[in-house]
Amino acid sequence: MANTRALVKRRKAIRNIRKITRTMELIATARFKKAMDRAVEADAFTRKIAELAADLAASATNLKHPLLEKRPEVKNAVLLILCSNRGLCGGYNASILREASGGLRQIQGDGIQLHLELSGKRAIAYFKFQGVAAEHTYTHFEDKPSFEQVDEVGSRYLADYIAGKIDRVDVAYMKFINASRQAPVVETLLPLSSLAPEPGRKVVTEEKKKPVEYEFLPSAEGILEEILPMSFKIRLFKCFLDSAVSEQIARRVAMKAATENAGEMIRDLSSKYNRARQAQITKEISEIIGGAAALK
Amino acid sequence: MADAKTLKCVVVTPEKAVLDESADFVVVPMFDGELGIALDRQPLIGRLGFGELRITQGSAVKHYYVDGGFVQVRGNVVTVLTSKAVSAKDINTQAALKPGHAETTPAAQEALEKNQQRARAQLRIAQKNQERSN
Repeated sequence: MANTRALVKRRKAIRNIRKITRTMELIATARFKKAMDRAVEADAFTRKIAELAADLAASATNLKHPLLEKRPEVKNAVLLILCSNRGLCGGYNASILREASGGLRQIQGDGIQLHLELSGKRAIAYFKFQGVAAEHTYTHFEDKPSFEQVDEVGSRYLADYIAGKIDRVDVAYMKFINASRQAPVVETLLPLSSLAPEPGRKVVTEEKKKPVEYEFLPSAEGILEEILPMSFKIRLFKCFLDSAVSEQIARRVAMKAATENAGEMIRDLSSKYNRARQAQITKEISEIIGGAAALK
Repeated sequence: MADAKTLKCVVVTPEKAVLDESADFVVVPMFDGELGIALDRQPLIGRLGFGELRITQGSAVKHYYVDGGFVQVRGNVVTVLTSKAVSAKDINTQAALKPGHAETTPAAQEALEKNQQRARAQLRIAQKNQERSN
Protein backbone atom coordinates (compact mmCIF):
# COMPACT_ATOMS: atom_id res chain seq x y z
CA MET A 1 0.00 0.00 0.00
CA ALA A 2 2.69 2.43 1.05
CA ASN A 3 4.61 1.70 -2.10
CA THR A 4 1.89 2.85 -4.47
CA ARG A 5 1.18 5.91 -2.41
CA ALA A 6 4.85 6.89 -2.45
CA LEU A 7 4.90 6.46 -6.22
CA VAL A 8 1.85 8.68 -6.65
CA LYS A 9 3.42 11.36 -4.49
CA ARG A 10 6.63 11.27 -6.42
CA ARG A 11 4.83 11.47 -9.73
CA LYS A 12 2.96 14.51 -8.55
CA ALA A 13 6.17 16.20 -7.44
CA ILE A 14 7.77 15.56 -10.81
CA ARG A 15 4.71 16.90 -12.59
CA ASN A 16 5.16 20.14 -10.68
CA ILE A 17 8.83 20.26 -11.56
CA ARG A 18 7.96 19.78 -15.19
CA LYS A 19 5.57 22.70 -15.02
CA ILE A 20 8.31 24.90 -13.61
CA THR A 21 10.98 23.88 -16.09
CA ARG A 22 8.55 24.27 -18.95
CA THR A 23 7.73 27.82 -17.83
CA MET A 24 11.39 28.62 -17.44
CA GLU A 25 12.02 27.37 -20.93
CA LEU A 26 9.33 29.67 -22.29
CA ILE A 27 10.71 32.63 -20.35
CA ALA A 28 14.22 31.92 -21.59
CA THR A 29 12.91 31.74 -25.15
CA ALA A 30 11.21 35.10 -24.84
CA ARG A 31 14.27 36.68 -23.24
CA PHE A 32 16.52 35.17 -25.86
CA LYS A 33 14.47 36.83 -28.60
CA LYS A 34 14.76 40.18 -26.85
CA ALA A 35 18.48 39.82 -26.24
CA MET A 36 18.93 38.76 -29.83
CA ASP A 37 17.08 41.82 -31.09
CA ARG A 38 19.36 44.01 -29.02
CA ALA A 39 22.41 42.28 -30.41
CA VAL A 40 21.13 42.84 -33.94
CA GLU A 41 20.47 46.52 -33.21
CA ALA A 42 23.96 46.89 -31.83
CA ASP A 43 25.28 45.28 -34.96
CA ALA A 44 24.23 48.27 -37.05
CA PHE A 45 26.40 50.50 -34.91
CA THR A 46 29.33 48.10 -35.01
CA ARG A 47 29.12 47.90 -38.76
CA LYS A 48 29.09 51.66 -39.13
CA ILE A 49 32.08 52.11 -36.84
CA ALA A 50 33.93 49.44 -38.79
CA GLU A 51 33.11 51.26 -42.01
CA LEU A 52 34.34 54.53 -40.59
CA ALA A 53 37.51 52.90 -39.35
CA ALA A 54 38.12 51.33 -42.75
CA ASP A 55 37.60 54.66 -44.49
CA LEU A 56 39.92 56.29 -42.02
CA ALA A 57 42.60 53.67 -42.58
CA ALA A 58 42.25 54.07 -46.35
CA SER A 59 42.75 57.83 -46.33
CA ALA A 60 45.43 58.09 -43.68
CA THR A 61 48.10 55.44 -43.91
CA ASN A 62 50.49 56.08 -41.04
CA LEU A 63 48.17 56.03 -38.09
CA LYS A 64 49.68 55.53 -34.69
CA HIS A 65 48.00 55.49 -31.36
CA PRO A 66 48.97 54.15 -27.93
CA LEU A 67 45.87 51.96 -27.84
CA LEU A 68 47.02 50.15 -30.96
CA GLU A 69 50.60 49.49 -29.86
CA LYS A 70 51.49 46.30 -28.12
CA ARG A 71 53.55 46.98 -25.04
CA PRO A 72 56.90 45.15 -25.01
CA GLU A 73 56.51 44.12 -21.40
CA VAL A 74 53.18 43.23 -19.85
CA LYS A 75 53.26 43.68 -16.09
CA ASN A 76 49.64 44.17 -15.18
CA ALA A 77 46.75 42.45 -16.86
CA VAL A 78 43.03 42.62 -16.26
CA LEU A 79 40.92 39.53 -16.73
CA LEU A 80 37.20 40.18 -16.85
CA ILE A 81 34.98 37.13 -16.59
CA LEU A 82 31.36 37.36 -17.65
CA CYS A 83 29.08 34.78 -16.06
CA SER A 84 25.42 34.71 -15.21
CA ASN A 85 23.75 35.80 -12.00
CA ARG A 86 21.51 32.77 -11.90
CA GLY A 87 22.10 29.10 -12.36
CA LEU A 88 19.95 26.47 -14.05
CA CYS A 89 21.52 27.08 -17.41
CA GLY A 90 23.38 23.85 -18.04
CA GLY A 91 27.10 24.00 -18.60
CA TYR A 92 27.10 27.69 -19.39
CA ASN A 93 28.93 28.96 -16.31
CA ALA A 94 31.11 25.88 -15.92
CA SER A 95 32.48 26.13 -19.45
CA ILE A 96 33.26 29.84 -19.13
CA LEU A 97 34.97 29.30 -15.80
CA ARG A 98 36.99 26.43 -17.19
CA GLU A 99 38.18 28.56 -20.09
CA ALA A 100 38.83 31.51 -17.79
CA SER A 101 40.82 29.42 -15.33
CA GLY A 102 43.09 28.39 -18.20
CA GLY A 103 43.64 32.03 -19.12
CA LEU A 104 44.17 32.89 -15.48
CA ARG A 105 46.82 30.24 -15.02
CA GLN A 106 48.57 31.39 -18.15
CA ILE A 107 48.69 34.96 -16.93
CA GLN A 108 49.96 33.89 -13.54
CA GLY A 109 52.46 31.53 -15.14
CA ASP A 110 53.95 34.41 -17.11
CA GLY A 111 54.56 36.27 -13.89
CA ILE A 112 52.08 38.99 -14.69
CA GLN A 113 50.28 40.82 -11.93
CA LEU A 114 46.65 39.83 -12.34
CA HIS A 115 43.66 42.04 -11.70
CA LEU A 116 40.62 39.83 -11.67
CA GLU A 117 37.21 41.32 -12.37
CA LEU A 118 34.03 39.30 -12.21
CA SER A 119 30.54 39.83 -13.45
CA GLY A 120 27.76 37.55 -12.25
CA LYS A 121 27.12 35.87 -8.92
CA ARG A 122 28.16 32.48 -10.25
CA ALA A 123 31.68 33.65 -11.04
CA ILE A 124 31.95 35.46 -7.71
CA ALA A 125 30.92 32.35 -5.80
CA TYR A 126 33.33 30.19 -7.78
CA PHE A 127 36.38 32.35 -7.18
CA LYS A 128 35.46 32.87 -3.57
CA PHE A 129 35.52 29.11 -3.18
CA GLN A 130 38.85 28.93 -5.01
CA GLY A 131 40.26 31.56 -2.70
CA VAL A 132 41.14 33.99 -5.50
CA ALA A 133 40.44 37.59 -4.61
CA ALA A 134 38.68 39.70 -7.21
CA GLU A 135 39.34 43.39 -7.60
CA HIS A 136 35.92 44.36 -8.85
CA THR A 137 32.70 42.45 -8.94
CA TYR A 138 29.52 43.33 -10.78
CA THR A 139 26.11 41.81 -10.38
CA HIS A 140 24.04 44.47 -12.12
CA PHE A 141 24.57 43.17 -15.66
CA GLU A 142 21.43 41.18 -16.25
CA ASP A 143 20.08 40.05 -19.57
CA LYS A 144 19.76 43.63 -20.75
CA PRO A 145 23.13 45.31 -20.27
CA SER A 146 22.88 48.98 -21.18
CA PHE A 147 25.62 50.80 -23.00
CA GLU A 148 25.91 53.34 -20.22
CA GLN A 149 26.78 50.66 -17.67
CA VAL A 150 29.35 49.10 -19.97
CA ASP A 151 30.68 52.54 -20.86
CA GLU A 152 31.51 53.12 -17.20
CA VAL A 153 33.59 49.96 -16.98
CA GLY A 154 35.18 50.57 -20.37
CA SER A 155 36.15 54.13 -19.52
CA ARG A 156 37.91 52.97 -16.39
CA TYR A 157 39.92 50.42 -18.36
CA LEU A 158 40.88 53.03 -20.91
CA ALA A 159 41.96 55.49 -18.26
CA ASP A 160 44.00 52.85 -16.45
CA TYR A 161 45.52 51.65 -19.69
CA ILE A 162 46.57 55.11 -20.80
CA ALA A 163 47.90 55.88 -17.34
CA GLY A 164 50.02 52.73 -17.60
CA LYS A 165 48.41 51.00 -14.65
CA ILE A 166 47.39 48.07 -16.81
CA ASP A 167 49.00 46.73 -19.97
CA ARG A 168 46.41 44.29 -21.19
CA VAL A 169 42.69 43.63 -20.88
CA ASP A 170 41.28 40.16 -21.48
CA VAL A 171 37.65 39.18 -21.39
CA ALA A 172 36.40 35.64 -20.85
CA TYR A 173 32.86 35.16 -22.06
CA MET A 174 30.58 32.95 -24.11
CA LYS A 175 30.87 34.01 -27.72
CA PHE A 176 27.71 33.80 -29.74
CA ILE A 177 28.48 32.20 -33.09
CA ASN A 178 24.97 31.28 -34.14
CA ALA A 179 21.76 30.14 -32.50
CA SER A 180 23.00 26.60 -32.13
CA ARG A 181 26.66 27.28 -31.40
CA GLN A 182 28.32 29.26 -28.67
CA ALA A 183 31.89 28.89 -27.55
CA PRO A 184 33.66 30.05 -24.41
CA VAL A 185 36.60 32.29 -25.34
CA VAL A 186 39.23 34.51 -23.76
CA GLU A 187 39.75 37.55 -25.93
CA THR A 188 42.28 40.33 -25.66
CA LEU A 189 40.52 43.67 -26.04
CA LEU A 190 43.38 45.97 -25.17
CA PRO A 191 45.70 46.70 -26.89
CA LEU A 192 43.37 46.83 -29.84
CA SER A 193 44.47 44.45 -32.53
CA SER A 194 42.97 46.53 -35.30
CA LEU A 195 40.95 49.61 -35.99
CA ALA A 196 37.77 47.76 -36.73
CA PRO A 197 35.50 46.69 -33.87
CA GLU A 198 35.57 43.12 -35.06
CA PRO A 199 38.90 41.98 -36.42
CA GLY A 200 37.64 38.74 -37.90
CA ARG A 201 35.02 40.28 -40.07
CA LYS A 202 35.67 41.85 -43.41
CA VAL A 203 34.08 45.17 -44.06
CA VAL A 204 32.27 45.10 -47.32
CA THR A 205 31.87 48.42 -49.02
CA GLU A 206 30.54 48.60 -52.52
CA GLU A 207 32.64 51.53 -53.54
CA LYS A 208 35.85 49.89 -52.51
CA LYS A 209 37.47 50.56 -55.86
CA LYS A 210 37.37 54.31 -55.70
CA PRO A 211 37.98 55.59 -52.21
CA VAL A 212 35.94 58.62 -51.24
CA GLU A 213 37.84 61.79 -50.53
CA TYR A 214 36.72 62.71 -47.08
CA GLU A 215 36.93 65.96 -45.32
CA PHE A 216 38.04 65.38 -41.75
CA LEU A 217 36.91 67.59 -38.92
CA PRO A 218 39.07 68.22 -36.92
CA SER A 219 41.64 65.92 -38.57
CA ALA A 220 42.20 62.24 -39.25
CA GLU A 221 44.28 61.99 -36.06
CA GLY A 222 41.62 63.75 -34.03
CA ILE A 223 38.98 61.35 -35.28
CA LEU A 224 41.23 58.39 -34.62
CA GLU A 225 41.73 59.53 -31.07
CA GLU A 226 37.98 59.35 -30.54
CA ILE A 227 37.16 56.35 -32.63
CA LEU A 228 39.59 54.00 -30.90
CA PRO A 229 38.06 54.31 -27.44
CA MET A 230 34.64 53.99 -29.04
CA SER A 231 35.77 50.92 -30.91
CA PHE A 232 37.05 49.38 -27.68
CA LYS A 233 33.85 50.17 -25.80
CA ILE A 234 31.65 48.76 -28.50
CA ARG A 235 33.68 45.56 -28.46
CA LEU A 236 33.28 45.33 -24.73
CA PHE A 237 29.58 46.02 -25.09
CA LYS A 238 29.36 43.29 -27.70
CA CYS A 239 30.93 40.84 -25.24
CA PHE A 240 28.23 41.66 -22.73
CA LEU A 241 25.48 41.32 -25.32
CA ASP A 242 26.91 38.05 -26.60
CA SER A 243 27.06 36.58 -23.15
CA ALA A 244 23.48 37.69 -22.42
CA VAL A 245 22.25 35.98 -25.58
CA SER A 246 24.30 32.86 -24.93
CA GLU A 247 23.05 32.62 -21.37
CA GLN A 248 19.45 32.61 -22.50
CA ILE A 249 20.18 30.00 -25.15
CA ALA A 250 21.95 27.81 -22.61
CA ARG A 251 19.07 28.17 -20.18
CA ARG A 252 16.52 27.35 -22.83
CA VAL A 253 18.39 24.22 -23.89
CA ALA A 254 18.91 23.12 -20.29
CA MET A 255 15.27 23.66 -19.41
CA LYS A 256 14.10 21.91 -22.52
CA ALA A 257 16.17 18.87 -21.57
CA ALA A 258 14.86 19.06 -18.02
CA THR A 259 11.27 19.15 -19.22
CA GLU A 260 11.85 16.18 -21.47
CA ASN A 261 13.53 14.24 -18.69
CA ALA A 262 10.68 15.01 -16.33
CA GLY A 263 8.21 13.70 -18.93
CA GLU A 264 10.19 10.52 -19.28
CA MET A 265 10.35 10.10 -15.54
CA ILE A 266 6.60 10.54 -15.23
CA ARG A 267 6.04 7.85 -17.83
CA ASP A 268 8.42 5.57 -16.02
CA LEU A 269 6.80 6.19 -12.66
CA SER A 270 3.32 5.74 -14.12
CA SER A 271 4.14 2.31 -15.45
CA LYS A 272 5.78 1.40 -12.14
CA TYR A 273 2.72 2.60 -10.29
CA ASN A 274 0.36 0.65 -12.54
CA ARG A 275 2.42 -2.48 -12.07
CA ALA A 276 2.48 -2.04 -8.31
CA ARG A 277 -1.27 -1.47 -8.23
CA GLN A 278 -1.92 -4.53 -10.36
CA ALA A 279 0.38 -6.62 -8.17
CA GLN A 280 -1.50 -5.43 -5.13
CA ILE A 281 -4.87 -6.37 -6.63
CA THR A 282 -3.58 -9.75 -7.68
CA LYS A 283 -2.22 -10.31 -4.22
CA GLU A 284 -5.53 -9.38 -2.61
CA ILE A 285 -7.52 -11.63 -4.92
CA SER A 286 -5.22 -14.56 -4.31
CA GLU A 287 -5.54 -13.94 -0.59
CA ILE A 288 -9.33 -13.99 -0.82
CA ILE A 289 -9.29 -17.13 -2.95
CA GLY A 290 -6.84 -18.70 -0.56
CA GLY A 291 -9.08 -17.77 2.37
CA ALA A 292 -12.20 -19.14 0.64
CA ALA A 293 -10.38 -22.39 -0.23
CA ALA A 294 -9.32 -22.82 3.39
CA LEU A 295 -12.97 -22.53 4.53
CA LYS A 296 -14.11 -25.45 2.34
CA MET B 1 19.92 55.83 -56.64
CA ALA B 2 16.84 56.75 -58.62
CA ASP B 3 15.61 59.66 -56.52
CA ALA B 4 19.02 60.62 -55.35
CA LYS B 5 18.06 64.16 -54.58
CA THR B 6 17.00 63.73 -50.99
CA LEU B 7 19.16 63.76 -47.95
CA LYS B 8 18.92 60.75 -45.66
CA CYS B 9 19.64 60.96 -41.99
CA VAL B 10 20.52 57.86 -39.97
CA VAL B 11 21.07 57.99 -36.23
CA VAL B 12 22.42 54.90 -34.50
CA THR B 13 23.46 54.20 -30.94
CA PRO B 14 25.00 50.97 -29.64
CA GLU B 15 21.63 50.01 -28.19
CA LYS B 16 19.38 50.68 -31.13
CA ALA B 17 18.88 52.40 -34.43
CA VAL B 18 17.11 55.58 -33.38
CA LEU B 19 16.23 57.12 -36.68
CA ASP B 20 16.34 56.48 -40.39
CA GLU B 21 14.54 59.16 -42.32
CA SER B 22 14.83 61.51 -45.22
CA ALA B 23 15.43 65.16 -44.48
CA ASP B 24 15.87 68.48 -46.22
CA PHE B 25 18.51 69.87 -43.96
CA VAL B 26 20.44 68.51 -41.01
CA VAL B 27 22.32 70.43 -38.35
CA VAL B 28 24.81 68.44 -36.30
CA PRO B 29 26.59 69.62 -33.16
CA MET B 30 30.30 69.37 -33.92
CA PHE B 31 32.96 69.46 -31.24
CA ASP B 32 33.52 73.16 -31.91
CA GLY B 33 30.12 74.40 -33.05
CA GLU B 34 27.20 73.50 -35.21
CA LEU B 35 27.47 72.33 -38.77
CA GLY B 36 24.69 72.43 -41.31
CA ILE B 37 24.48 69.74 -43.94
CA ALA B 38 22.49 70.27 -47.10
CA LEU B 39 22.09 68.17 -50.22
CA ASP B 40 25.22 67.05 -52.10
CA ARG B 41 27.65 67.92 -49.39
CA GLN B 42 31.23 66.86 -49.78
CA PRO B 43 31.99 63.58 -47.97
CA LEU B 44 32.89 64.26 -44.38
CA ILE B 45 33.90 62.48 -41.22
CA GLY B 46 33.66 64.58 -38.12
CA ARG B 47 33.70 64.44 -34.39
CA LEU B 48 30.59 65.47 -32.50
CA GLY B 49 30.26 67.28 -29.23
CA PHE B 50 27.36 67.31 -26.82
CA GLY B 51 24.56 69.24 -28.33
CA GLU B 52 21.48 69.44 -30.44
CA LEU B 53 20.82 67.59 -33.63
CA ARG B 54 18.20 69.27 -35.79
CA ILE B 55 16.55 67.59 -38.70
CA THR B 56 14.37 69.68 -40.98
CA GLN B 57 11.74 67.91 -43.03
CA GLY B 58 9.63 70.39 -44.95
CA SER B 59 8.34 72.72 -42.26
CA ALA B 60 8.74 70.26 -39.40
CA VAL B 61 11.91 70.26 -37.35
CA LYS B 62 12.98 67.37 -35.15
CA HIS B 63 15.25 67.99 -32.21
CA TYR B 64 17.54 65.47 -30.57
CA TYR B 65 20.22 65.58 -27.94
CA VAL B 66 23.34 63.67 -28.93
CA ASP B 67 26.09 62.69 -26.58
CA GLY B 68 29.26 63.04 -28.62
CA GLY B 69 30.28 60.52 -31.25
CA PHE B 70 30.84 60.85 -34.98
CA VAL B 71 29.13 62.00 -38.08
CA GLN B 72 29.74 60.61 -41.53
CA VAL B 73 28.43 62.19 -44.68
CA ARG B 74 28.67 60.20 -47.84
CA GLY B 75 26.54 60.16 -50.96
CA ASN B 76 23.70 62.16 -49.40
CA VAL B 77 23.52 59.92 -46.34
CA VAL B 78 24.21 61.53 -43.01
CA THR B 79 25.12 58.93 -40.41
CA VAL B 80 25.28 59.99 -36.80
CA LEU B 81 27.03 57.55 -34.48
CA THR B 82 26.59 58.42 -30.86
CA SER B 83 26.47 56.66 -27.53
CA LYS B 84 23.18 58.29 -26.65
CA ALA B 85 20.48 60.09 -28.63
CA VAL B 86 17.38 61.45 -26.92
CA SER B 87 14.47 63.28 -28.46
CA ALA B 88 14.22 66.82 -27.09
CA LYS B 89 10.90 66.17 -25.39
CA ASP B 90 12.21 63.09 -23.57
CA ILE B 91 15.14 64.76 -21.86
CA ASN B 92 15.09 64.20 -18.14
CA THR B 93 16.09 67.55 -16.70
CA GLN B 94 16.16 66.17 -13.17
CA ALA B 95 18.75 63.58 -14.06
CA ALA B 96 20.77 66.08 -16.04
CA LEU B 97 20.90 68.44 -13.08
CA LYS B 98 22.20 65.78 -10.74
CA PRO B 99 25.63 67.02 -9.71
CA GLY B 100 28.71 65.04 -10.56
CA HIS B 101 30.72 63.70 -7.66
CA ALA B 102 33.07 66.28 -6.25
CA GLU B 103 36.62 65.06 -6.69
CA THR B 104 39.81 66.92 -7.13
CA THR B 105 42.05 64.75 -9.28
CA PRO B 106 42.59 66.07 -12.80
CA ALA B 107 40.87 63.10 -14.36
CA ALA B 108 37.83 63.60 -12.15
CA GLN B 109 37.86 67.30 -12.92
CA GLU B 110 37.86 66.53 -16.58
CA ALA B 111 35.01 64.09 -16.16
CA LEU B 112 33.13 66.67 -14.15
CA GLU B 113 33.61 69.24 -16.86
CA LYS B 114 32.37 66.77 -19.43
CA ASN B 115 29.34 66.07 -17.27
CA GLN B 116 28.65 69.75 -16.93
CA GLN B 117 28.88 70.22 -20.67
CA ARG B 118 26.51 67.32 -21.07
CA ALA B 119 24.07 68.72 -18.55
CA ARG B 120 24.18 72.20 -20.05
CA ALA B 121 23.53 70.92 -23.54
CA GLN B 122 20.61 68.80 -22.38
CA LEU B 123 19.05 71.62 -20.40
CA ARG B 124 19.48 74.05 -23.25
CA ILE B 125 17.64 71.79 -25.65
CA ALA B 126 14.91 70.98 -23.14
CA GLN B 127 14.40 74.68 -22.48
CA LYS B 128 14.18 75.49 -26.14
CA ASN B 129 11.72 72.68 -26.59
CA GLN B 130 9.54 74.10 -23.86
CA GLU B 131 9.66 77.59 -25.34
CA ARG B 132 8.58 76.23 -28.66
CA SER B 133 5.60 74.40 -27.20
CA ASN B 134 4.48 77.49 -25.27
